[in-house]
Amino acid sequence: MRSKYSIIYITVVVLGFILSGCATAPKVVTKGEAYPKMYDEQPRSLLILPPMNESTDAEAKDYYMTTAEMPFALMGYYTFPTEMVSDIMKQEGVYDTELLYNLPMNKFAEYFGADAVLLTRIKKWDVSYMVVASKLTVSISAKIVSTKTSEVLWAHSGTVVVDLSGGNSGGGLAGLIVNTIATAVNTAAADYVDYAHQANARLIGTLPAGPYSNMYMQDQSMPVYTVRGK
Amino acid sequence: MKRYKVAALGLSTTLMFLISGCSSGPKPLYNYGDYSESYYGVKKEATAESALEYQQALEYCIEEADDSSSGRVPPGMYANLGYIYLKGGQNDKAKENFIKEKTIYPEAAHFMDRMIQKIDAMEGENEK
Repeated sequence: MRSKYSIIYITVVVLGFILSGCATAPKVVTKGEAYPKMYDEQPRSLLILPPMNESTDAEAKDYYMTTAEMPFALMGYYTFPTEMVSDIMKQEGVYDTELLYNLPMNKFAEYFGADAVLLTRIKKWDVSYMVVASKLTVSISAKIVSTKTSEVLWAHSGTVVVDLSGGNSGGGLAGLIVNTIATAVNTAAADYVDYAHQANARLIGTLPAGPYSNMYMQDQSMPVYTVRGK
Repeated sequence: MKRYKVAALGLSTTLMFLISGCSSGPKPLYNYGDYSESYYGVKKEATAESALEYQQALEYCIEEADDSSSGRVPPGMYANLGYIYLKGGQNDKAKENFIKEKTIYPEAAHFMDRMIQKIDAMEGENEK
């Protein structure tokens, strides 16, 4: 009797595994499914606003601004010149404040004629020093908001984490000193900017192509990410 | 003679493969040159030297625009250059570049017209 029950038990468990295996087949989400509003509204121009800096580095804002234009223009959108836009924001007294992100979106259409606004947040731009390893993190989140409807048309984030310890963490005090120097050398501002370019590259891949791209209105079926079913 | 022809054909085919192998795939939509690097240079340290490098990078983007899949000057480059002229008091050159920007990119027309109107208003004030 006992063995009969155990057979049933094993069968149920095995069946359960098989069934759960079937259910967790990953589902691919396409650009068309993830960002339908981009395809509905078809914005042609993006106004890249000064980023919201949530990192501990005050300079991150100005530096990040130098990396944002190219990836979005290369995806086929008209990007407004960020240097001019930043200066205008400074003159209007909204460059360094939360005010900018709380302005009604139609203001940007009125002043610049922008179809949509690109809002970015620098979530991390730092090096975390640890006993055995140091890590540089650049993390950017971005979203495109319509100036007509104030709705979010696209949103994504990109993070780059770099291990700065270079593999050989060495032993003893000498090793520690060498590492500290290496870390100091490795984390010049230019490096952050390089990694910001990489973080941009990670998030830009999910963006539907713009009007100056060959892929414009052709990339709805391109995969963005996969989700596991329940 | 025939053998030469075959050899020549083979050689030219090989050469073509080699050359096409060297060119690194399709060109990007725009040729940005050192724009991003020089822009960062200005933000890192605003000196006469970094400003000059930035301006030269913009001029390079304009001159070498053909070296891209679109053949167009990247968005904002004429506007950036015009803005440099505007800050330097060369209003006519500024306007000229703002007009070029909106000619290539109609998306910029609203903003560029606003800048041109500002310059005209400024000049009107000065004449009074």
